[in-house]
Amino acid sequence: MKKMTLALMGAAMLTASFAGTAFAAGKTIAVSWKTFQEERWKIDEAAIKGAVEAAGDTYLSTDAQGSAQKQAADIEGLISQKPDVILVVAFDSDAILPSIQAISDAGIQSIAYDVQFEDPNALYITFDNVGVGRIIAREVSKVKPEGRYAFIKGDKGDPNATFLFQGMMEVLKPSIDSGKIENVCETFTDGWKPDNAQKNMEQCLTSTDNKVDAVLSENDGMASGVVAALEAQGMSGIPVGGQDGDLAAINRVALGTQTVSVWKNATNLGETAAAAAIALANGTAMDAIKGVGKFSGGKKGVEMNSILLEPTPITKDNIGVAIDAGHITKAQACAGVAAGTVAACN
Amino acid sequence: MSTQDSTALSQASEKDAQPSALSRFLTATEIDTRMLGMVAALFAVWCAFDIYSGILRPNDGLFGGAFLTPRNLWTLLVQTSSIAVMSTGMVLIIIMRHIDLSIGSMLSLVAVAGAVLQVYIMAPAIGVGHPVIWIVAIIACLVLGTLIGALNGYLTAYAQIPAFIVTLGGLIAFSGVAFLLAKGVTVAPMDKTFKLIGGGVPASWLGPFWSWVLAIAACALIVFAVINGRSQRKRFKFPLRPVWAEVTLAAIGSAAVVATTWVITSYPWPFGLIRRYALENNITIPAGVENRDGDAICMAGEKIVRCTEGLIYYTGYAVPVLVALGVGAAMTFVAGRTRFGRYVYSIGGNPEAAELSGINTKMMTVKVFALMGFLVGISAVISSARLDAATNALGQLNELFVIAAAVIGGTSLAGGIGTIYGALLGALMMQSIQSGMALLNLPAAFQNIVVGTVLVFAVFVDQFYRRRVK
Repeated sequence: MKKMTLALMGAAMLTASFAGTAFAAGKTIAVSWKTFQEERWKIDEAAIKGAVEAAGDTYLSTDAQGSAQKQAADIEGLISQKPDVILVVAFDSDAILPSIQAISDAGIQSIAYDVQFEDPNALYITFDNVGVGRIIAREVSKVKPEGRYAFIKGDKGDPNATFLFQGMMEVLKPSIDSGKIENVCETFTDGWKPDNAQKNMEQCLTSTDNKVDAVLSENDGMASGVVAALEAQGMSGIPVGGQDGDLAAINRVALGTQTVSVWKNATNLGETAAAAAIALANGTAMDAIKGVGKFSGGKKGVEMNSILLEPTPITKDNIGVAIDAGHITKAQACAGVAAGTVAACN
Repeated sequence: MSTQDSTALSQASEKDAQPSALSRFLTATEIDTRMLGMVAALFAVWCAFDIYSGILRPNDGLFGGAFLTPRNLWTLLVQTSSIAVMSTGMVLIIIMRHIDLSIGSMLSLVAVAGAVLQVYIMAPAIGVGHPVIWIVAIIACLVLGTLIGALNGYLTAYAQIPAFIVTLGGLIAFSGVAFLLAKGVTVAPMDKTFKLIGGGVPASWLGPFWSWVLAIAACALIVFAVINGRSQRKRFKFPLRPVWAEVTLAAIGSAAVVATTWVITSYPWPFGLIRRYALENNITIPAGVENRDGDAICMAGEKIVRCTEGLIYYTGYAVPVLVALGVGAAMTFVAGRTRFGRYVYSIGGNPEAAELSGINTKMMTVKVFALMGFLVGISAVISSARLDAATNALGQLNELFVIAAAVIGGTSLAGGIGTIYGALLGALMMQSIQSGMALLNLPAAFQNIVVGTVLVFAVFVDQFYRRRVK
């Protein structure tokens, strides 16, 4: 085994010296995961592992189990195995920086996968989170261009909650300024929890005497709470936006109680990252990789090379996309849907 | 202030000075002054929220705000029910000098298990909406909760691991199991009948008639309890309350029931639901004049509009609130009137003495934890039915609110002291603060600060009060 690794590493060094030549196989791509607590990371891993192994390269991984300390140790361990590229899903985007420095010092390339850390040497690959907010707002305002909007935001401690809201406001700002759209409620939700979102929505409806025309929720879990609160007031069916492509949310889209669920196809993200990692391992310059642009929207404004993927809005018209991708079965998506109301369910 | 009070107290104890009318009244009726303080604090908080929300956005509350409206108070009760149910069990656990930190995770586990059972297993097998589904799902939740609780109790009593550690382990482990059960996805939607327990649909609202029937029954029960209590005291030659005090107690209790019922039954169905119900059941809608402030519906020509005098329905008590009230009554009975309850208090007061007097304290520990698990099962049904979905995020950190409710309600962490009604009031207080601040659109960070401060302050006041009474 050890011999084989040595041989592989030898081959890797050899190919590294012929950077950009046809010798693609034999590289090692490592990933430091922050956690597998949420289901989606397994989907990401399957995509990356599949793409890396299909290219004949080796896949290594560690799981930090939600601890910044363990992640630092994990990365030290990975560096000592001398991979070509390390993808890092940072648990803490500041605490990770010394580890990223160590990666660069060892002459290894790093990729910030889905979670940003601000190191100019790393490539940042993620879904455009501001874009997700933009899409939620765009899809809902298409259905309801004028009226009283409620905003159910995520946890106050999560930067994504702010990015998402920022994106929504980019789209809605003109209408808010001209008075077409009024912001009647805007609350953060502790821990992104659906039951908290339900309570917040109930209080919003009470305080406005049900005068709400559309709700923008920052994820699908919270949207389930919002829809339950609306249902209790006989208001289900007003436009509600969310994101994540939750199976239950896609079903709600089919049923008509939710307007849009913006779906970040994790397989797509994983495959893109794996392709970028393989290209880096083969010596392609970072800014020469397909789709790379500059990004400096982080906390400290550090300019980084980045690939921002556009997520897919799932509405009544294109539920088939998620079914075809194997994300959800037709039976799950169409449970309880009246015949003939949704094309993909027929 | 405090020196004046203590002199007043010492004078009273010397029996020289005549006690004030209020203190004579309190002694005669034996009303818990602590509870009186809590009720007063609760009303003060409610009024403050109503006034403040009225300043921000005028509404038709008692002081012009949105808090003291039938609608908000109705919602408040529904929002409180899940925590309230669990807090009654937590009181007994804390009285026995234990703690249960695992209930939040246990709730997610039980809720997800119940949801997986109905959505993924039973619905495909016997058809969506089959009446067996909701019955089996509820029983499964209750049994699972009881078993997990019993396991906690067994490890605490027989394996002699401190309850703090056992349930801390549970807090971490159960959420993991909940995650694995549904692979992290949200399981939805719940069975139609199962959903009634959440109180989100008209079929789960009692309506004015049955609400009043229930209220009258409750009043009769209060009168019966007072009369029965008096005859029991006579039988065992205990000192009796004066007759006027008994009458006053029955009157206050009944008045509280009538007032609550009156508020609850004056919240009309939301406009959209009245319209849908009328259309679905072919009910003729009376003609009338449009008035957007009205809660009823009328036909203005061909159009259905809101109006002041027309077709209207009122909600009445919602199922989860009834469940919580029923649990509260049953637990009050269990704690105060059964051997089980007396054992709990005596073990909490002095475990060694209780054991030496022949109480099987280990078995009692298992039973109390199992009872807690059973109540978590009920709350899991309420929460998942109310959300119409179950996820591993549901119920997380609920243990903190439940423990806080019990503690605000006067349960002493030193053991031996605590009441069920105190915990229910504590739960209502916690939810009032949260809902009130959400109504004012205050940031969540601010809400956490206030809730935490109130918790510590309540215990401070309680300690101060107890020292003074001693």
